Amino acid sequence: MSDQEVPSSLRNILSDIFEIPPEQITPDLNAESVDTWDSFRHLQAILALEGEYGVQFDPQRIPNLTSVSLLQKELEKKGVSL
Amino acid sequence: MQSEAERQDLRKQIKDSARDRDAGMAIRCAKKLLDGSNKPADAIFCASALAGIADAIKDQLGARPLRTYVVRSVTVEPIVPFLATEAVFSNYVLDLKVGGYGSYADELLNPQSALANFKPDLVLILLDMDETAGRLPALCSDGLGAGVEAEIEECAERIAQLLRSLRSHGSARILLQGLVAPDHTSLGDVGDANLAHSLPNAIARLNERLAAICRTVSDCVFFNVDRLAARHGRSRWRDLRMFLASRLPVNSEFFNVYSRALVRAFSTLYRPPRKVLCTDLDNTLWGGILGEDGVEGIATGSAFPGNCYFAYQNYLKQLSSRGILLAIVSKNNEADVREAFAIRAADLALNLNQFVACKIGWNDKAQSIRELAEELSLGLDSFVLVDDSPQECEAIRRQLPEVAVIQAPAEEPWELVDILSEQPFFDALSVTDDDLNRLNEYKAQAERAKLEENAIDRNAFLASLEIVCTFQSALRAPLARAAQLLAKTNQFNLTTRRRSAAEIEEFASAEGGQAVVVRVRDRFGDAGVVGLVLARNQGHACIIDSFLLSCRVIGRGIETALLAYIGQRALEMGARHLVGEFIATKKNALCADFYVDHGFLNCDAKNAGDSGSKFFTLDLSTSVPTSPEWIKVEGYECNERSGSPVFTS
Repeated sequence: MSDQEVPSSLRNILSDIFEIPPEQITPDLNAESVDTWDSFRHLQAILALEGEYGVQFDPQRIPNLTSVSLLQKELEKKGVSL
Repeated sequence: MQSEAERQDLRKQIKDSARDRDAGMAIRCAKKLLDGSNKPADAIFCASALAGIADAIKDQLGARPLRTYVVRSVTVEPIVPFLATEAVFSNYVLDLKVGGYGSYADELLNPQSALANFKPDLVLILLDMDETAGRLPALCSDGLGAGVEAEIEECAERIAQLLRSLRSHGSARILLQGLVAPDHTSLGDVGDANLAHSLPNAIARLNERLAAICRTVSDCVFFNVDRLAARHGRSRWRDLRMFLASRLPVNSEFFNVYSRALVRAFSTLYRPPRKVLCTDLDNTLWGGILGEDGVEGIATGSAFPGNCYFAYQNYLKQLSSRGILLAIVSKNNEADVREAFAIRAADLALNLNQFVACKIGWNDKAQSIRELAEELSLGLDSFVLVDDSPQECEAIRRQLPEVAVIQAPAEEPWELVDILSEQPFFDALSVTDDDLNRLNEYKAQAERAKLEENAIDRNAFLASLEIVCTFQSALRAPLARAAQLLAKTNQFNLTTRRRSAAEIEEFASAEGGQAVVVRVRDRFGDAGVVGLVLARNQGHACIIDSFLLSCRVIGRGIETALLAYIGQRALEMGARHLVGEFIATKKNALCADFYVDHGFLNCDAKNAGDSGSKFFTLDLSTSVPTSPEWIKVEGYECNERSGSPVFTS
């Protein structure tokens, strides 16, 4: 996958949260591969995405949304046009 | 609402100014961005940009660094960026550490805990109902309340023990957060309201008890988060989904207001309130323009829109009753204004006697405020101006940036009281007798000035004042007043160490220690507690750690009387010389020569380094400072260990 696949608004938010440059936010980036992606930043990312797109994630699914592509798919499933 | 383009533009400006280390600019842009956006991503962006220039914020803006430890039983990490950013907006830089979920009791009780090792300046205690009062919901569920009162007492006592333990281990300042009542219980709104022991009623009582406990612990503020929840909507305050899934105590849409309120609450532990509110008259204190509409034409009184202004006048009256001084700064004919206050007296909540001073005329308002500052011996940072004219407001902001300026909304006069209440600058953790007496004291000051103008011989003038100094242990005088003096005295303050109440207690109780306050009264009035000294004997030297005097009593020899008292007591406790210290600040040049003027010698050996401190010594075997003859001294033995009066003259 190329980094073009992550929409820029999503990329910018995750860049703020994980403090890595937007161009390094790729779909396969995940909690394993990013040092700053701990459980608190994960929660922060969830809250930031909810605030940004006006959606609510299902708390049961939140712990599993641990990669950029999973977050993106979940948002799309909620009807967010990224 | 901000457009996406504006938002991106502000983010770019923040990034650029952070790169250029322009702290003021970065903060202004961050404020603007977060005023228009409540999005966590923006707060995190600002927090991380501002964290990167923390040193610049401290250096350029004099922000106060605070090592802050958060004791918690809930998830606060997502709130931390908001808290850090709001703190910067109030000129603090937080070095923040968050404690463990389950270890709050250990952190507060154990003198070797992670908290103690962190050596915090500030401790925020953010506990939830489960930890503070876990049994209450069950006990309250029938509304009959068997055991509710006992449980409230037990919870309060448990928290009191935690606070006292924390206090006994260190002098960090403390914020204790109260509990939030749930939006609804199984009793329903009617049951909750009518049954004495419903959960909301029990929580309100527990919060009152916790606040009362905080009043008994030095440097401790109670934060009533329940009031905040009520203001912003109890039903939305907590996002139950996120609370149950992640123990997040506050809905993320309120992270900003919650953080702002926390900062506002702990600020009262560090900053004294401003002291003077200057109000404009036309379209501010009353509606309309006196010069055009005439005495009968201005709007004030019980009918709309006059009652909007009446509400503002009442608010000012309330401020005045707890010691905030009121002044009029207005472009008007003074005779017209006097006529308006006389003829419309029944429609005005204030009369002219309730103002400490009036600057009515056609002078520049900046000049008027400068004169007021001089006449009242107060710094410009003690002043607030309320004025409806955007030009006047802008002029003061530019010429006197220390003055806080509030623009009165001339078109929506009902908004003014709300706008004033949103501002933290009159927040005070305690109100002392000295606050209550302040208006009379400043009026007496004006009379003294008049007398001084007519007096030829200074000593005769001072003698005619009939000054009486009373020395007391800082522990016997209201400790709150001593702490207040330490926090706000800038001009006659030799070291400007902002010691906490807990540290004052240490000086008072240490062997060879002194924590002495001086009360001053004269024939015009009682100025109350106006000076403080902290000192401690070390070997044969009495080291004066802090020496300060309120500027409104300077120049009457009171500082000399205070030094004489300290010297005498140091001698009695075995000291052979006094060691004074002076640390220069922007504001205390006035007392730079204090020790030299009193016969101290420059301590060259100690002053070789560039620590910022200058030391002076006085050999007590050859000279002991004496109190000026025009001052009558009343003194008491200050050391808590013995109670006999030993020093009167």
